[in-house]
Amino acid sequence: MTANAPVIRLRDVTKSYGVGAAKTQVLRGVSFDVDRGELIALVGQSGSGKSTLLNIIGGLDQPDAGEVEVLGVDTLKANDKKRAAIRNESIGFVFQAFNLLDHLTVLQNVTIPSSFARDAKDIDGRGREALRRVGLSDFAQRKPGELSGGQKQRVAIARALFNQPKLLLCDEPTGNLDSETGKEVIDFFRELNAKDGVTLVIVTHERRISSVAKRVIAMRDGMIVETTDEALAAGRAGPT
Amino acid sequence: MMPIGNLARMVTANTLRSRRHFVLSAFGIVIGIATFVLFLASTEQVSSVLEKIFPLDQVQVVAPRASLLGKDISKKLDDAIVKTILTRKEVAQALPRMNLTFPAFGRGDFEGNDLKFEVGGFADGIDGSFVQDDPRIKEQFKDWDAINDPKRVACVPPPDSPTQEVIQSPGAPNANRPAGPQLGPDGQPTFDKDGQPNYGNPCPDPDEYYCDNVDQRCHHRVPVVMSPTMIELYNGQFAKSHGLPIADTDFVKFVTQRGGLSAMRFSIGLGLTTIAGSNTTIHHRPRRVEAVLVGISDKAMPIGMTMPIQYIERWNREFQGEEAATTYSSIIVTLRDKGQLAPFAQWLQDSLDLRLEDSLGQKFATVMFVIRLVLVLISLIIIAISAINIAHNFFMQVTERRRELGLLRAVGATQHDVRMVVLGEAALIGLIGGILGVLFGVAMALGVDYASAHYLPRFPYKPDTWFHFKWWIWMGGLACAAGFAVLGGYLPARKASTMEPAQALTQN
Ligand SMILES: Nc1ncnc2c1ncn2[C@@H]1O[C@H](COP(=O)(O)OP(=O)(O)OP(=O)(O)O)[C@@H](O)[C@H]1O
Ligand SMILES: [Mg+2]
Repeated sequence: MTANAPVIRLRDVTKSYGVGAAKTQVLRGVSFDVDRGELIALVGQSGSGKSTLLNIIGGLDQPDAGEVEVLGVDTLKANDKKRAAIRNESIGFVFQAFNLLDHLTVLQNVTIPSSFARDAKDIDGRGREALRRVGLSDFAQRKPGELSGGQKQRVAIARALFNQPKLLLCDEPTGNLDSETGKEVIDFFRELNAKDGVTLVIVTHERRISSVAKRVIAMRDGMIVETTDEALAAGRAGPT
Repeated sequence: MMPIGNLARMVTANTLRSRRHFVLSAFGIVIGIATFVLFLASTEQVSSVLEKIFPLDQVQVVAPRASLLGKDISKKLDDAIVKTILTRKEVAQALPRMNLTFPAFGRGDFEGNDLKFEVGGFADGIDGSFVQDDPRIKEQFKDWDAINDPKRVACVPPPDSPTQEVIQSPGAPNANRPAGPQLGPDGQPTFDKDGQPNYGNPCPDPDEYYCDNVDQRCHHRVPVVMSPTMIELYNGQFAKSHGLPIADTDFVKFVTQRGGLSAMRFSIGLGLTTIAGSNTTIHHRPRRVEAVLVGISDKAMPIGMTMPIQYIERWNREFQGEEAATTYSSIIVTLRDKGQLAPFAQWLQDSLDLRLEDSLGQKFATVMFVIRLVLVLISLIIIAISAINIAHNFFMQVTERRRELGLLRAVGATQHDVRMVVLGEAALIGLIGGILGVLFGVAMALGVDYASAHYLPRFPYKPDTWFHFKWWIWMGGLACAAGFAVLGGYLPARKASTMEPAQALTQN
């Protein structure tokens, strides 16, 4: 990847589920680039294909056709091993449902990416540092069941940050949080983007994210219907 | 691929996490492996006991009976045939045996019991060089009459019993019983109320020598060995019904406790029998010799007594003639490998016109093989069913854990990693189930052995344990448990690895 190559490059990405009469076309030719250091808000109605697109970017799902290049890797051509490796080393995921493993402690949840890395060093130290960044240093030995929703999401964010990713993919990260806690999370993302230069793509219904985003990409029925740049986004609400 | 240490840690944590899942999955394996090792260990033990009684690499060469116009024309087993057999390269050893071919009758005192027993048909001879079981046997089991023995001094033999029975082996002289026969006022030998002569053994070393009534000289007692089967038979039925002590597994110790070798002596009335109407023609009037048990050897005939072959040759010649003294009753051939039995039998038939006695060992081995096969099949079926059970449980688990497995993919697990995690969990459950199964099997074996020791009556060759857990049995049990568990986990693991992580993770 050259210095100014885009972090994400999508060209005519299509995706459908099912076959025959039950076939639904979820993505109908999506193309856009995301540059390094951007904070993108991906908005659109329910069912418009946002999560599908995000999963394709993260290599958790495969498109039917088109080009997908993430961090310089052509995820269509790369094998499972290679895709797993960039997920492990360079991409962090944050989900609406947190997806913490209840049988592990908070710290173990945060450090779980190290299980799939060769020669991981100072695992607990890095895990505690990630927890400190989300303000949960005192909760390392708790179980997720003992935490509030906002705390759980912060643990999930700490987990996503554990390997210091270049790209953070968040699917409705504030969807299960009250507005106050949601605001804290958004502020945290903005800080992450501003201070550490992490590239973020955030699927959201939240107007506040749209307002802090440098760019808002709106989808409808599997297509990009609107791309507003930073300046525009600052001035008005998102399309939902 | 994730590092193996991380895999092991994750697999262990996941397995210990759900006790219910673990118990449900491992239960069948535990039962299956327990029966598996139990069956294998018991058939192993029974086989080895049987093989001890009926060695598989030993066969008995006999001459088929044939007669023409009332004349016995059976092939004669002699030294020439032994030599021919020994030229075969598959033959490790050929041991000729000669039966006592005429009636004889024994009598001895054991623990105050007056024991009488047939010897004819229950005695044979083999060369001393084949019997080397312990130092005492090596020293004692030989033809004492062939050596120049300075103790072979003149003596007055005991008188024959008026009852026509063979008298017991007379004891050493003491204060009440001077050496030699005690004569009454009429100048005739006197007898006690049991019909035993009042007679002290006049020979030097009266425990080892007796006064022979033919050449009226002292002779070393005829050394005799008995097979372990005799001890088993003695312990199994005889000792109990006669109120006698059980022989220790260490026979030498047992003998020592009973007063040493001299307590194991007895008389043999050659040419005498208790079997009414026995009409064997004998060339000699009955006479008495004395014998002593010198040890236990599995070279001895299973039921009866075995002595150096020179004694049998001499007595057969004396009572039956030259033919009986030069014809072996059988030749025990030890093969270098039990697999060479068939070609050897064929050669024997074709070139010597001889055959092998039906080998009991072979028959038992076949029966045991079939029994073992059936038992192992039963336990394998149990294990296979538990593998199916594992598959079922893991399918449910994998579905329940979609989100967790999807998350692992999101943080960097490859499909292969996910598969290995699930397979590893199955293998670990199998392995732990296998260990528990082996322990359970061993515990059951201990229980059976305890019950056998306390509630089963003694019988010949009753083993101390019914099980022999050879290392390959429990290793095989563990391998089998892990193997079948992995087999059961295979399809669920495949399903887990091909599951789409995206959906599971984005659903609320
Ligand atoms: N695995 C699947 N099989 C079949 N259809 C699917 C699958 N995943 C998604 N879809 C369909 O694809 C369409 C887009 O789904 P997607 O989850 O991407 O929408 P979304 O924009 O994230 O919606 P939401 O805002 O509700 O999360 C929907 O109609 C959905 O039913
Ligand atoms: Mg969605």
